[in-house]
Amino acid sequence: MAARIITAGSTEHRNYKLIVGGLGVLAFILFAFAYIDTASLEIAGNKYNLSIIRVNKAIAFAIAILGLQVIVGYTGQLALGQSFFFGMGAYITAWLVADHSWPYLLTLIVVVPACFIVGMILGIPALRVKGLYLALITLGLAAVFPSLVKLDALSDYTNGAGGKSVSESKLIPPGWLGGGVDAPRGTISNLDRFAEFLQTFPVVGGFFGDGPLSSREEERMWKLILLTLMLVACCWLVSNLIQSRPGRAMRAVRDNETGAAVSGINLASTKTLAFGVASALGGVGGTAYVMEVGIASPDDFAQVIAILFIVGLVVGGVGTISGAIVGAFVIVFVPDWSSSTQELPIVPERWLQGPTGSLILGAGLILLTFVLPGGIVAAYRRLKARFIQIVPGVPTMPSMAAAAEAAIDTTGVDTPTAQEPTGV
Amino acid sequence: MQLFLQRVIDGLTNGSAYALVAVALVLIFKATTLINFAQGEQAMLGAFFALQLWMWGVPMWGAVIISMILSALLAALIERTLIRPFDPSDHLPLVIVTLGLFLGINALAGLIWRFDPWRFPELFPSGVAFSIGGANVTWYAVCTVLSAIVILGSLQLLLSRTKIGLAFRAVSSNLESSQLVGIRVGPTLQFGWALAAAVGTLGASIYVANPVLSIEPTVMLTVLVFAASAAALGGLDSLWGALAGGLGIGFIQSLLVQYAPFIPTELSLLTAVVVLLVVLFFRPAGFFGTAAVERV
Repeated sequence: MAARIITAGSTEHRNYKLIVGGLGVLAFILFAFAYIDTASLEIAGNKYNLSIIRVNKAIAFAIAILGLQVIVGYTGQLALGQSFFFGMGAYITAWLVADHSWPYLLTLIVVVPACFIVGMILGIPALRVKGLYLALITLGLAAVFPSLVKLDALSDYTNGAGGKSVSESKLIPPGWLGGGVDAPRGTISNLDRFAEFLQTFPVVGGFFGDGPLSSREEERMWKLILLTLMLVACCWLVSNLIQSRPGRAMRAVRDNETGAAVSGINLASTKTLAFGVASALGGVGGTAYVMEVGIASPDDFAQVIAILFIVGLVVGGVGTISGAIVGAFVIVFVPDWSSSTQELPIVPERWLQGPTGSLILGAGLILLTFVLPGGIVAAYRRLKARFIQIVPGVPTMPSMAAAAEAAIDTTGVDTPTAQEPTGV
Repeated sequence: MQLFLQRVIDGLTNGSAYALVAVALVLIFKATTLINFAQGEQAMLGAFFALQLWMWGVPMWGAVIISMILSALLAALIERTLIRPFDPSDHLPLVIVTLGLFLGINALAGLIWRFDPWRFPELFPSGVAFSIGGANVTWYAVCTVLSAIVILGSLQLLLSRTKIGLAFRAVSSNLESSQLVGIRVGPTLQFGWALAAAVGTLGASIYVANPVLSIEPTVMLTVLVFAASAAALGGLDSLWGALAGGLGIGFIQSLLVQYAPFIPTELSLLTAVVVLLVVLFFRPAGFFGTAAVERV
């Protein structure tokens, strides 16, 4: 079957984007309401959780991996210690919310500059130290973080090994959406109305639970909405950054550092900026993590998390924005589902209890570098290109037509990771 | 004074174990300019092999030697199947593969031996060998330092006196030229990996044989940071530099804990990272390494 060719910018392309985007949003809403109670799938006698809690966690991870995309994927610097900034953001948020009663989202105005500046400072050695050495230093920093927050001197802020918990949740949905803060029990909110509306559908209505949402479910839904908005905002910002002048400079540095310097790109400022942005995104991810989990504890930010982020980066696709999201879901759900697999035919039970998920991720990571270096996103794009191809439109000026023709030839189907991100 | 001497001896003991893992890193770096992030985990797996063999009734040193051979074979296999297919100058895929190995080997050990501390049998006689100025030097300390020196010495002999050692040095000094004079580069690098794994296994076995330590799958996570720091301090391509760096890092760690009360014990890892940072920033070639010259 020949692929259908759509010209970018045409009405057809606009309709296509509207339909795909609309279906995506609809699927997301339906999914959210269907799995708001900790629902699970049952396959071969094992229960697999699909709950919103894990999705929220994946969103937090996705923001952190987005930071890795900026520094590793787009700038080509092997700064692998993202868990350091993830933890830093998480602790700052937990501290401000728990001890100073700030609202969660307001803490971002501290988290983002703090992580940005620390990231830039730690990025200064990277101007001299390249490649593997940088990987070594940053992984070392990631290894240090848990012992840093366990320090006695900081225990007033971090609460030592026990972790800083945000005892009182401040994520109650606002009045127009959910029950609000002072609403008496049993108030029917707009979220309830929508859930009940979904329940009225024949056949499929049963998937959406029964009756109004509990306050816990409403809170979960509100978290999902907030985190999704944060993720969308971050993706939008990163995609703008990548397509702007500094972003092009970053990609030039990645592809050929000497060439970039010769073309007048300031290597030092480009790399430092990339470090700052990546670290700030790591911090925002940490904030999102605390919003969901409600506690920042040292071992959640151990070195192995930094390595998991790299797994997410590679599995999703290095140098793609959507890859960050795909990768985050993989690193959340693979360990989770593998630990929920209590029994499988053939495989002895002993192999299912323990860090099976990490083994799968480690093996998958190696396998993927061999068979699919571009990650899942590249595979999806290759598959999609068999059915729908979007090619740049031909400009109207006759002198430019020839140039555009050439562009069509080179805008191949399976351009590897260096391809521009096409949406989220 | 007595306390100072005691700390120095402790530092030297730990440092020798770091030095052995650092030597493993250096061997691979010399050959391929790659830092093997899975080195610590490979060494941990080797030490577990030794433990398992010992539990099956093999005499202790026999178990260590068999497990050194086993991990050398495993490393040769890893090099052939997972490392050689990639372009050595493109770092990202290689880093990813070694990190995948890191994650995979750690999980595998966790699956087989669980995340419980195991008592590792004592490799060296227990008790105090002698004392200097009131500080006790245990047999463990004496033997650890001695075995680091012996291993380094025999590696030096191996590399300078044998044919494969000559080939290894040729490959690490110039890969393409050595290919042109007929050295089979692949098997030589494979030999480097196997050698590194064997030395790393011995280092890990000696490290966990410390009477105050036990072996568990996470034991090498911090050791790798110390070892990498030691290797960088000595210069990533110098064998004796790795020994000096290992002893130096052990020294700094041990003295800081004692004499810098504002640096708590938990932060000794941070000192290793800071040393790494300072060395790479001011003297990227370390103290004994050769400075890299790059032509653009």
